[in-house]
Amino acid sequence: MKLILIFISASLINNFVLTYFLGICPFLGVSNKTENALNMGLATTFVMTLTAAVTWPIYTYLLVKFNIPFLEYVAFIIAIAALVQLVEMYIRKSSPAVYRAMGIYLPLITTNCAVLGLALFMVLRDYNYIESIIFGFGTGAGFTLAMLMMSGIREELEFADVPKVFQGVSITLIIAGMMALAFMGFAGLIRG
Amino acid sequence: MFLVLTVIGAISGGILAGVFHVADPLIQANREKELKEAIFVVLPEAKDYKVMEKEIDKEKATIYQGIDANSKPVGIAFIADGGGFQGNIRIMVGLSIDYLKLKGIRILEQNETPGLGNRIKEPAFEDQFKGLEIRPKIEYIKYRKPEKPNQITAITGATISSDAVVKNVNNAVSRVLKVFPQEEVVK
Amino acid sequence: MADNNQNLWHEFQKGLWQDIPPFRLVLGTCPALAVTNSVINGIAMGLATLFVLLFANISVSAIRKIVPAQVRIAAYVVIIALYVTVADMFLAAMFPPISKALGPYVPLIIVNCIILGRAEGFAQKNPITPSIMDAIGMGIGFALSLAVMGLIREIFGFGSILDIKLLGAWFEPWIVMILPAGAFFVFGFLVALVNYLSRKKAETVCH
Repeated sequence: MKLILIFISASLINNFVLTYFLGICPFLGVSNKTENALNMGLATTFVMTLTAAVTWPIYTYLLVKFNIPFLEYVAFIIAIAALVQLVEMYIRKSSPAVYRAMGIYLPLITTNCAVLGLALFMVLRDYNYIESIIFGFGTGAGFTLAMLMMSGIREELEFADVPKVFQGVSITLIIAGMMALAFMGFAGLIRG
Repeated sequence: MFLVLTVIGAISGGILAGVFHVADPLIQANREKELKEAIFVVLPEAKDYKVMEKEIDKEKATIYQGIDANSKPVGIAFIADGGGFQGNIRIMVGLSIDYLKLKGIRILEQNETPGLGNRIKEPAFEDQFKGLEIRPKIEYIKYRKPEKPNQITAITGATISSDAVVKNVNNAVSRVLKVFPQEEVVK
Repeated sequence: MADNNQNLWHEFQKGLWQDIPPFRLVLGTCPALAVTNSVINGIAMGLATLFVLLFANISVSAIRKIVPAQVRIAAYVVIIALYVTVADMFLAAMFPPISKALGPYVPLIIVNCIILGRAEGFAQKNPITPSIMDAIGMGIGFALSLAVMGLIREIFGFGSILDIKLLGAWFEPWIVMILPAGAFFVFGFLVALVNYLSRKKAETVCH
């Protein structure tokens, strides 16, 4: 039961992009076409779930066990960078088609605040292993959702008459603001 | 190639260990101070406190026993943690020595809606919990002044946040009452 | 020598307007939105980022000749994480309320694209002194941007700055400013404003 709550909370109520501002760079940069948005979203969700699976043991069995909490950030970011590198190598070898579709996004995912953010939150909230993985998956799903919604709107926007100064980043941000307002409606979905 | 990385890693690790050595005592002292302040707010007569680690329902719980200048216990304080409208709410609760009333609460952390839900941290709301009876449990009432000694008035427009506080405090109190007052008060 | 000084000045001031993050250089947007709900938080985050940016640039520039190309990203990232951890511990030890307010966004400076961007894009190709100027310029530009965003959001969201009431009791605070949605709106409008001002500047220059 708690796992479902964690998933809904991570993807809807406390959507990483619209509530915590994590993952904004790709959100602004890659959301112009739905196909790109979907690929980036899926790739990111994949990395985020793996990140949770990898960083939790690092935290529990290395940092806490040996009482070196100050190495948390260094350890996490190295883990994430290594993970992304490995995923990229694996995809390039095993499935060139998939690599062609989403391979270019992979290096960008390393600096996606959402990935490091999820590892940090997982520690702050004291999730156990299963909860962490669900959390990773949920936040990735929320990110993908936000990306898809934004790309859908932006594709429509290409036919609209946006004033010059607002074109590009500016109008995207304003739309994001409205999305954030809309998502606030999810708050209180889970009581207690 | 990896040599360079290892050297960088080793130097970084060394620097961090050094900074941690210096900073950690300060960080711990800050945490202590915050905790102390919260305890003294909810247990006004306490001048110091003792830490008691208990196990309730197979989980660890930390209870703080407030003591006055003569080392006599004045009540116990503990943390109530739980979900609110928008995230976690962390509350320090003070219970009287006869385990019948609250001595007060202090909201430590919350992320409720500014201007509405986050008014739970205002004195007007927190003060309602002073001397509040805890049996059978705390309730909230809307739009009117409390009619029973275990009721508080919810904040208008922030029912869910108010309810969350009440629920979290009730939960924490009922858990603590599982080991107190049956337990001997630690001398 | 005069030429050198001119170059240094150029590296410094480009971060203050034409390449100002996050409004022109769309980098560092995550913290810009997250911690600008008040001026103090915005400035604190800006200064923390400046600190990391400065030392990271210095370190990357200092070792640029001895780090092999394949591992440079990994090396830079470790260096950045090192300084961020130091900054985080410093804040937690000396300014606990600010540390609490900035929360998990301090470690997120590690993935703040500005820092890795400057390390990759500038510090690894330039000697130490220009790298310092680049870092300071970008850092101050960023801190200023955060301060402005924090100012706007705080004035309209609370009616006050730094606890000094500016707008009287007649003003009903625009709560939305403190919420995530407000952050997006303010940022969006500021980007538009900067676009407009840059356009105007370019026009006057071209005439």
